[in-house]
This record gives sequence, structure tokens and C-alpha cells, in this order.
Amino acid sequence: MHASNLKYIYLSLLLAFICLLLPWSGLALTIRPDFLLLVTIFWLIRAPNMCNVGTAWFAGLLMDLATGGIFGQFALAYTVTAFFAVRYQRRLVLYSGTQQLVYVIILLLISQITLLILKTFAGAHFIGWAYFAPSITGVLLWRIAVAFGLNTGGRARGA
Amino acid sequence: MVRGFNHKLEQQQAPAFFARGPSAFARLVFFAALSLALIATDSRLQYLNSVRQTLVGILHPLQVIANTPTQLYNATTEYFSTHNHLLNENQQLKQLALKQDIALQRLSTLTLENEHLRQLLQANKALVESSILGEIMHVGRDPFTKKVIVNRGEAHHVVAGEAVVDAKGVIGQITRTYPLSSEVTLITDKSLAIPIQVERNGLRAIAFGHGRDNTLDLPYLPANVDVRKGDTLVTSGIDGVYPAGLAVATVSRIEVTPDSPFAHIVCVPKGGVENHKQVLLVSIAHAELSASATTATLPPARMPAAKINLAPSAKPAPAIPEKPQASPASKTHARE
Repeated sequence: MHASNLKYIYLSLLLAFICLLLPWSGLALTIRPDFLLLVTIFWLIRAPNMCNVGTAWFAGLLMDLATGGIFGQFALAYTVTAFFAVRYQRRLVLYSGTQQLVYVIILLLISQITLLILKTFAGAHFIGWAYFAPSITGVLLWRIAVAFGLNTGGRARGA
Repeated sequence: MVRGFNHKLEQQQAPAFFARGPSAFARLVFFAALSLALIATDSRLQYLNSVRQTLVGILHPLQVIANTPTQLYNATTEYFSTHNHLLNENQQLKQLALKQDIALQRLSTLTLENEHLRQLLQANKALVESSILGEIMHVGRDPFTKKVIVNRGEAHHVVAGEAVVDAKGVIGQITRTYPLSSEVTLITDKSLAIPIQVERNGLRAIAFGHGRDNTLDLPYLPANVDVRKGDTLVTSGIDGVYPAGLAVATVSRIEVTPDSPFAHIVCVPKGGVENHKQVLLVSIAHAELSASATTATLPPARMPAAKINLAPSAKPAPAIPEKPQASPASKTHARE
């Protein structure tokens, strides 16, 4: 499957963004995974020559727009995450399915922690450990996608 | 020959797997710096407001697409709701309308009486208010703030600073407007304060959103303050943002600790902060957020109303009567 096409990358990012725009509320909002970041990480791993830190930055900017917060917060969080995703992308070939999941959850947490630091600087309070729920649901979603045959690279394919 | 070969080598592109342009670290530094610059600009300066408005306007169609599934679901469930259910609901609504009609009749007499009393006291006129019906599109996506987005924006003449009210009470205030939607900060948000009055004894205070759970705090009140559990808090209206007398919250808990001179008062909002769909956006004579009204001084936008009422007493026989003042003054006399 040679889906590493720019068209597919942007289409999937747009779809992920629309998923985020769905009118989530209550518990669903608390545990909603960060679809946009998941798709970005997927492409960072699968097609690093086409999707790089800059793409993640743009995705983050979209998130800033959607959340209505100060511009640049999500952008910075996504940028940092993308850096770590790309930095260790080549080692991913050696990772087993479980190792890859750990890698993904660490990436998701990096994004959330960066955002938490930024928000705390802006005067927000920590809103409880449920804040990190999206990372867990995100990695579950990743596992489900792998189970349904999504090729996430490395030895994890079809696991 | 060798030179030609070297040239050829240089021209040859590396395979896609290795061709990565600048290193990831260089990109990180560049984009992180860009983000930080954006954060600084957006939080300290106002340049990006119009950019944000335009971009949100462009994104609006996407938002509409994203909202379609739930709207379709609601429409279908509504369509398939039973005849009986509708009849019941109709019955209930009729009863409610009857009750409210009676209340309204009394209200009109009371309004007249109130106006008359105010004229006797030569007090300022109660501020005129206008309202627009809006619908909550979705809950704000930032977990750190309590916000909702409503489907009325600049195109519908919504101005930042308007109060947002539902059937039971105040739910928040418009803090940002976009072309076709606007952002409402709920009263439970940490950054929102609302001037209130205890309905029972008229005590004035300011309620602050708690931020984490859906409650409000009444800080800076002495430990011996006359506030009881179950007291209703209504808007005092002295800020010129919220109309006076709207229900805000009920006092749910009062804690007095010996080591603090202040009472810790927790209130639960009356309005369905998280569960209503239809809301009213109420503006008081186009009150704007910039006009940070205080008790003592009225913002210039609303000065004429004050002048009209004060005119007869301040200047009994004005030598050079100004046109706008002359007619209301005569009106007052005619009524007396």
C-alpha cells in the first residue's frame, strides 16, 4: 500500500480535524483522544519525508484555532512531540507491537505535558488526573487501528 | 572526465529514505521559536484578533459539517417521537404558558409602577435591554476553561460583553465574537466574575467561577456575613452588563474556619450551565465590554438616560434648553 501520498496525508489530517470538531461534551469530551495528533504521529512515522515537524506545527495551529485558546500553545506542543517522533523514527523498525504502543503513549503524553506546562504558565490550574485520559484512549485507538490492519510500520504490522 | 563524474555525483539525489532536509532538531528550534513568538504576540498584543476571526470564519463550514450528524440524529428522534408524548408535552406547555401569562400581567403593572416610583425618586431609568435567541453549537474544547460556542455572531449584531441567559438564570458572558458564532465564557470559569446580590437581604458581593467543578465562590466576605445555605443570588445589575434581578446561583455550602477572617462560600449555578441548548443573548443598550462600568459612573453610552431624569431637578428653568432634554422633561410633567 503506497498511501504515502501528500493528498492522503492532508485528507486524513482534515478528517481527523473534523472528528475533533464533532460536538463532544461531558465524559466523551474528557476522554476524547487527540485524533489530529494521532494521525500526525502516524504520518511522522510512516512518511517522514513528507510529513515533518512543520506539518505538526500547522496541525497544532489548527487545534489552537479550534480550542479558541492563545495561538501557539498546541502548535508548540505538537512541534515538540513531532521532534521526538521523528528523532526515534528509524529505531521504530526494531520495535515490537507493544514497544510501539509505549512509544506512542509517550509521544501523546509529551504533547499533553507540554500543553499543561504552557497552560500553567498562563495561570490555569491542573484539572485533575483525568486530564491525561486522552493519551490512554489515544493509544487504545492506535491499537484498534493496528488490529484492523493499519500498517504502522516496524515489526508491529498486523500484530 | 573525473570532474564530470564528480558533478554527476553531486547532482544525484539521495534516496527518499535519507532525504530529510534540515535536521529534526533545527526544525524543532525554528517552529518552537515561531510558536513562542505567537504565544507572546497573542497573549500580550491584540494584533491576532482579526486573524483569528477570519480563520474561524473560514473554518465555520467545517464546523457545520461536524455538527450535521448530531443534528440529523436529533431531527430523526424528534420526527419519530410518539403522538402521545407530543400531546403530553403540549398540555404541559399550555399550563406553563397560562401560569406565565398571569405572572406577565402582574409584571406589566409592576413595571409601570416601578417606572413611576423611579420618576418620583428621580432615579436613573432601568437600563433597556434587547435579546437574541441563540443555540449552543458545542462545548469549548479547551479542558482548562469553561466555555461554549453559540451560533450567533457578528452577522447577528452580537457584541462581546453581552450576558447569556437561559430559562433558569445567567449562564455566562460573550467574550469573543466571530462572524457567525461567538464564544461564551460560563460563570463557572475561573476568569469570570459576576456582581451579585443576595436576594434575601440585598447584600452585594462578587461571585467568581471556581474553574474545576461547576461551582461559584463568594470570596472576601467576612466570617460573620449574613449568608445562609439555600440563599438565592441574583444579579445586582450595577455593572451594566447583566440586567438586574436574574437568578445566578444558590448557596450550597458555607465553611468558616477559625484561622481565616473570610468565609468560604460555595454556590451552585441556577442556570443549566452544562445542559441547555437554547440561550438568550441579552445586551443592555449595546453595552460593550470596553465600558467597564462601575457603580459610581455610568459609561458615556448610557449617559443620556441619566441626563433625562436628572434634567428637571438640576436645572429648574434652563436658560438654553437642549433639544433632547426638553421633550422628556415635559413628558415627566405631563405624567405628574
